[in-house]
Amino acid sequence: MGEFNVHRVRFFNYVPSGIRCVAYNNQSNRLAVSRTDGTVEIYNLSANYFQEKFFPGHESRATEALCWAKGQRLFSAGLNGEIIEYDLQALTIKYAVDAFGGPIWSMAASPSGSQLLVGCEDGSVKLFQITPDKIQFERNFDRQKSRILSLSWHPAGTHVAAGSIDYISVFDSKSGSAIGKMLVDRQYMGVSKRKCIIWGVAFLSDGTVISVDSAGKVQIWDSATGTLVKNHLVSNADVQSIAVSAQEDSFVVGTAEGTVFHFQLVSVTSSSSEKQWVRTKPFQHHTHDVRAVAHSPTALISGGTDTHLVIRPLMEKVEVKNYDAALRKITFPHRRLVSCAKKKQLLLFQFAHHLELWRLGSTVATGKNGDTLPLSKNADHLLHLKTKGPENIICSCISPCGGWIACSTASRFFLYRLNYEHDNISLQRVSKMPVFLRSALQILFSEDSTKLFVASNQGSLRVFRLLEGGFTHLHSFQPQSGTVQSMCLLAVSPDGNWLAASGTSAGVHVYNVKQLKLHCTVPAYNFPVTALAIAPNTNNLVIAHSDQQVFEYSIPDKQYTEWSRTVQKQGFHHLWLQRDTPITHISFHPKRPMHILLHDTYMFCLIDKSLPLPNDKTLLYNPLPPTNESDVIRRRTAHAFKISKKYKPLLFVDLLDEKTLVAVERPLDDIIAQLPPPIKKKKFGT
Amino acid sequence: MVQLRPRASRAPASASAMVDEGQPASEEEAGHGLLLGQPSSGAAAEPLEEDEEGDDEIDDEAPEELTFASAQAEAKEEERRVRETVRRDRALLKEKRKRREELFIEQKKRKLLPDTILEKLTTASQTSVKKSPGKLKEVNLQKKNEERGKGSDSKKAKVQKVQTVGQNKSYMAVRLKDQDLRDSRQEAAKAFIQNCLYGPGTNRTTVNKFLSLENKRLPMKKAAAQFLNNTWGPVARQALLSMGFSRQEHWSGLPCPPPGDLPNPGIELMSLALQ
Repeated sequence: MGEFNVHRVRFFNYVPSGIRCVAYNNQSNRLAVSRTDGTVEIYNLSANYFQEKFFPGHESRATEALCWAKGQRLFSAGLNGEIIEYDLQALTIKYAVDAFGGPIWSMAASPSGSQLLVGCEDGSVKLFQITPDKIQFERNFDRQKSRILSLSWHPAGTHVAAGSIDYISVFDSKSGSAIGKMLVDRQYMGVSKRKCIIWGVAFLSDGTVISVDSAGKVQIWDSATGTLVKNHLVSNADVQSIAVSAQEDSFVVGTAEGTVFHFQLVSVTSSSSEKQWVRTKPFQHHTHDVRAVAHSPTALISGGTDTHLVIRPLMEKVEVKNYDAALRKITFPHRRLVSCAKKKQLLLFQFAHHLELWRLGSTVATGKNGDTLPLSKNADHLLHLKTKGPENIICSCISPCGGWIACSTASRFFLYRLNYEHDNISLQRVSKMPVFLRSALQILFSEDSTKLFVASNQGSLRVFRLLEGGFTHLHSFQPQSGTVQSMCLLAVSPDGNWLAASGTSAGVHVYNVKQLKLHCTVPAYNFPVTALAIAPNTNNLVIAHSDQQVFEYSIPDKQYTEWSRTVQKQGFHHLWLQRDTPITHISFHPKRPMHILLHDTYMFCLIDKSLPLPNDKTLLYNPLPPTNESDVIRRRTAHAFKISKKYKPLLFVDLLDEKTLVAVERPLDDIIAQLPPPIKKKKFGT
Repeated sequence: MVQLRPRASRAPASASAMVDEGQPASEEEAGHGLLLGQPSSGAAAEPLEEDEEGDDEIDDEAPEELTFASAQAEAKEEERRVRETVRRDRALLKEKRKRREELFIEQKKRKLLPDTILEKLTTASQTSVKKSPGKLKEVNLQKKNEERGKGSDSKKAKVQKVQTVGQNKSYMAVRLKDQDLRDSRQEAAKAFIQNCLYGPGTNRTTVNKFLSLENKRLPMKKAAAQFLNNTWGPVARQALLSMGFSRQEHWSGLPCPPPGDLPNPGIELMSLALQ
């Protein structure tokens, strides 16, 4: 019988930062997203839209532009005046080059991918040459009077359109001289005192320039004559972003009201060859400003201040009409931000610049299914730990006994020792850090809290032994072959013998901790790993992938278990495979080896390996059947996947002990309440 | 019905005769006829009289004889009068200008500090400038904070000296560490973006109102959403205050919390079907 007391936790005040820029890379089908706190995330759109890599943010880095260049190189530029290149293999920042033009507002890579253009605060447009290991300043274009807020290259690379305040200039890219200037009206049909800010420009191959501005207009210009061809008023508020498809037959714009409009090139009459741009579809998936849009061959991607990333596949471009063509909204992180110390009932919450430690409340009452039990002791906020420096925290962990806390930023590693006396706790920082321990991508403590495992960004895995006063370095496992596919995930077995590490394209590596050598490697799978865990006693490694497949691999036997083979042969239920969000945590019941508990954002599931598997015809979401039905029917409809959707959206679910679960939820309204104000919309009847 | 007078040669007379005769006879006629006639009658009347007088005088007297001396005297008088008036005008102007200048000087004096204070300042700055090299020597032994404080003091004093001595120097000495050029531009850029998106003229609403919109359109109208936590919606709160009214009761502790939002709503019993 599975009856649990559930701690419903809603005091994790997690607020994601708004999305500022989005850049789509066609060759690898990847999306780079940068947020207002400087974090840059890479989503793999072909791996079920999983966030595979991320670069932590920095307080001084306010990114304003992001772009991909030739050879899968990612560049960003921001208000601190620097152009930053990201190393996607080492997961660090390669270098930062100051453009010496003041804050940088816009950046565009040339169609050939070998040149980079930045628009600066002082009105200058600077051209950089991309060399194999760095970028080199080449030339300044003619300086304009006001800040350059948007840039666009002509597909042939001969001309450049730059949007500024109240005008658009067209440059010749070979000589750098301004050959034309197009003045933009401040308001559609009228005069206005507010200056018109050109938020986005796009240059098409037939010489048309499309501009979007703060008066809510989408204007189509002819750059050869410098005249306005067509004027569309799409909104009362600013239109803040524009993206054109590769075939140049459609483009998408995002407004400050949260609406995304799709424009398409349509023939005037069905027989004529003359075409014009027509606004075809509006989409209202956002509540706040849409500051970034991108156009992939089959989908429209938008992101804004309301922190959702929305990917809307276009029906006419999708080949097969299945669940892949549904709207995807990515709101919650694809990795764990909560760690749990089970014995002391402590939760560690990871924020951008601080950590919070809470002790759960307790109750003495009992009740039946569905009751809310009153707390005899409230949840306690024990610790608020701020990290020094402007960088964001990458990862954090608390040891299962609750005595150690470790966290890491991009340049420093912090380890703290906690002591509990009666009701007080005292904190001591371990100050002497070894030189090679700079930053960590993932941190994990062993079950008995004697060892610390750190996966660092050079690909190596280090093992430390924890002592009373500090810690000593035991061993470093060298990086294995294979490219870095996603962020490293670690799992350690409860008896402390085995350590599993994922993240490379070679598969999941399993190390023997006692003998300090590589034991085996789970065969590689083409989708990245989203969660890893090793079961007690049986030492089965359970792996969840981003396409919702779950594998079970026996470490001592070095092969997949029988149950896993059965599941793969039969296949998962189609509703299980159609889930949107990845599984982020797997845990086990201490007394029942047949149970696996896993959760994603909208459900948590207890897999009972002893029960039969559901086939596609049975009902997957099986609520408790009514008691008046006979036992036979109950047994017939029961299957291995016990799913509950009662608590959502979930950030973390774990089994504290045999009879207690903890579920950390984050209601969406609480996030919306702490976002910047949206545009006022007048609704009839209010 | 008009009877002409015997002087047929005088055309105006005939006109006046016409009019005179016409007035009593044609009173019933429309006014415009009379009106047209009247001014001309006035104009016609005068030359009639003058001619009659002129006729008499021209025939009788000869022109007067004036001596050369008297004429000269008159002319000289005229000249003297003209010169007098010009001189008087110039004198008046001069006086006016003098008075104005005095007024301006007085106003300027009022704006400046009184002399005593100015003297004090100049002596004080000179002495502090003399002191600062000594101070800097001492400072090496003290903590960094104090050093920075004293350094900035000496800088301020130097600045004051430049301003009050009144020489034509238009520079100001500042320490590079106190000012970060890059940061000031970055701050200006951030302020620009903030102004464009959230400044005056943008049509923004508060988060409160935005969340309440749904409540107002439901068939069972619910109350507007209000926050228990005072720190939520801070940007909106500033926007409200800047609009000129601050409704304190709007934000402080409230009877109706947002639905389902207590920090830890207790521990629930839940059972999963695992038969």
